[in-house]
Amino acid sequence: MDFTFDDEQKALRDAVRDLAGRHTPASSGGDVPVGPGKHDAAAWSAIADMGLLGLAFGEDVGGAGASAVELSLAATELGRGRLVTAYADAMVAAELINRAGTAEQKAAFLPDLLDGSSLIVPALAEPGRAWSLAAYDVTAEGEGDSVVLTGTKEPVPYADVATHLVVTARAGDRTGVYLVADPQVSGARVHFDATPAIQLGSLDDAPAAIEAAVNLGILAVVSEALGAMDAALPMTVEYLKTRKQFGVPLAAFQTLTQRAADMYVSLELARSTVLFTAMALADDPLDSAAASRAKVQVGQSGRHIGQEAIQLHGGIGMTAEYAVGHYTARLTAIEHTFGDTRWHLARLSASLRDYEQVEVLRPA
Amino acid sequence: MHLHLTAEDAAFQQQMREFFTTQVPQDLRQRWAAGGEPSADDMRQAQRILNEAGLAVPHWPVEWGGKEWSQLQRHIYLQEMQDASVPPPLAFNANMVGPVIAAFGSQELKERFLPPTANLDIWWCQGFSEPNAGSDLASLRTSAVLEGDEWVVNGQKTWTTLGQHADWIFALVRTEPDAPKKQMGISFLLIDMKSPGVTVRPIQLIDGGHEVNEVFFENVRVPADQLVGERGQGWTYAKFLLGNERVGVAPVGSIKRRLADAKSYAAATRDGNGSLLDQPLVAARIAELESQVAALELTVLRVAGNSKEGKPDPVSSILKLRGSQLQQDVLELIADIAGPASLEWKRGDDSETEAWAALATPTYLNFRKASIYGGSNEVQRSVIASAILGLKG
Repeated sequence: MDFTFDDEQKALRDAVRDLAGRHTPASSGGDVPVGPGKHDAAAWSAIADMGLLGLAFGEDVGGAGASAVELSLAATELGRGRLVTAYADAMVAAELINRAGTAEQKAAFLPDLLDGSSLIVPALAEPGRAWSLAAYDVTAEGEGDSVVLTGTKEPVPYADVATHLVVTARAGDRTGVYLVADPQVSGARVHFDATPAIQLGSLDDAPAAIEAAVNLGILAVVSEALGAMDAALPMTVEYLKTRKQFGVPLAAFQTLTQRAADMYVSLELARSTVLFTAMALADDPLDSAAASRAKVQVGQSGRHIGQEAIQLHGGIGMTAEYAVGHYTARLTAIEHTFGDTRWHLARLSASLRDYEQVEVLRPA
Repeated sequence: MHLHLTAEDAAFQQQMREFFTTQVPQDLRQRWAAGGEPSADDMRQAQRILNEAGLAVPHWPVEWGGKEWSQLQRHIYLQEMQDASVPPPLAFNANMVGPVIAAFGSQELKERFLPPTANLDIWWCQGFSEPNAGSDLASLRTSAVLEGDEWVVNGQKTWTTLGQHADWIFALVRTEPDAPKKQMGISFLLIDMKSPGVTVRPIQLIDGGHEVNEVFFENVRVPADQLVGERGQGWTYAKFLLGNERVGVAPVGSIKRRLADAKSYAAATRDGNGSLLDQPLVAARIAELESQVAALELTVLRVAGNSKEGKPDPVSSILKLRGSQLQQDVLELIADIAGPASLEWKRGDDSETEAWAALATPTYLNFRKASIYGGSNEVQRSVIASAILGLKG
């Protein structure tokens, strides 16, 4: 087992770090965006142009033929640079098409998604419902070319700028995957009223496709979170060193430095877990236990580091123009994306009897 | 980045697993797994079996029985040993005094002490802490004054773990009382516990057990050649000793073993028509701990890859801090699973309470020590804050 990046991976990391640095939202002066991310078309085309959307996908479908490890590395730098984008969402949509779609459907939609000419995002959440991989209130009727969807998905991040949606919908008592072009969108709400859709592949393949796609989305967001935590801690440490109160730097107060030390521990535990999960999903996209463990660890580390980063900064950490609060907002959003800590603990709890110990050392 | 073990490391893992589960008697391993006060005879027997196979002191210099293993192999060795409930080589011998003598002792001291130390023919105990010098080790006051070719030692050590079984003690003593800083003027001395003037007095702990002792020195005469390395350099050697464990500092294998046990205890404890493992709050707590332990193990493996041989690595503070927390969390879980059965402590002959359940509370109480010894968690946080984050208080 080896956690070190090779030269190519380091070059990718540096390139994405540069890109993210150029598109980082201003953190002092001017208009600072707060709240859920707004689509930044310039940042998005830079991401697409660098080929970051295709990292985890094969060259046969228009991807770069790298792996989930490279995807994770890129997403980490987007998180560090505070770029709030549709990256993770687009990865879920791409993997849904890749796994659920027929050869013709893949050829029709994937290359355009991966080169950035179309923006496709998943529509998974339903209003008034906790997170679920299954669909309940959006239903699909009909077969083949004459499928229609009815019901509401909300929130659907980036629906307002998407060219297509990949929608989970209930067909009888099963959940299928459907593609909708030019969706009817109002803010983050998407309403279907006998809306024509294309069924991606078969109902039999849909559950595994959804699971693998969400796992990839989880990897993207926990990696982003790693980047955010990895930036928020040094900002906080620097603040403790420079900010004076009662005539001395804050770092003179042991109660504060000990808390910074705990943040460091949280960060390193998260880093180990994210790197491992990238390798595990590159090996087996259906390793949902690894994905859930990453979500649990990053959920806990993210909450801890985000809350402490604001607290140790004091009042300045509460202001929109100071970056530490943006990291915390992003970490909070990530915790509630693709299943929260509770959901993932429940999924892990259900399989406790299947194994004696969690084995991270795996023979080839 | 690679996920999988190489064929060589996988073979090594199999080899270790087979050795520990077939060469160390099962009844001995069962006694160790049950917990409670460790049996000195079992510890001796286990270490001698390991030593005979060349597995007692793998991180010593090759000349003295070490193996040139990678940090990953060292992790695998510990993991498999702990998973099989094999008593580990006595830490005072294998991890503490042995490496110090091997690194700083004279050839004569090495030849005299290293083989019996590896074989547990000498049982060592550690004479560092004093009543007023715990985490603030440098303020120790036990003195050694040179008279002819003997040191005359006076003072008191405390928290001397398993000192009641010990043949020898390695002690930090103040040989230069006028040194300008309190870290200076300390020497590292090897003392026979049978020397006239050495008294051992047990300290009873909150679990009812006798694990630690006070050791008193009253005009104890120690041959001058039993001073390790240079006079006045004891502080340097102590820092070497405390810092040279990285991989072993978080007992991941035994935490995982206990957590797997906790799962089977929960499955065997009836609750309504099911078991405690069906209880969502218990199941979620186990799932959470499994995730946290996996994160720790991955961190051990990641840090092991960046090893700086022989130097204290501040990153090992993460492992000590988090390892002790998780060890305590798992034992707390087991006490909670035992529930009413944990009230018993000592079972009567016809008791229907399982041994693990009766021992759950004393074991939980005993391991409150884990976040205090070897540098308390507060000390570990200070090391991280200053050495890694650059926050000088």
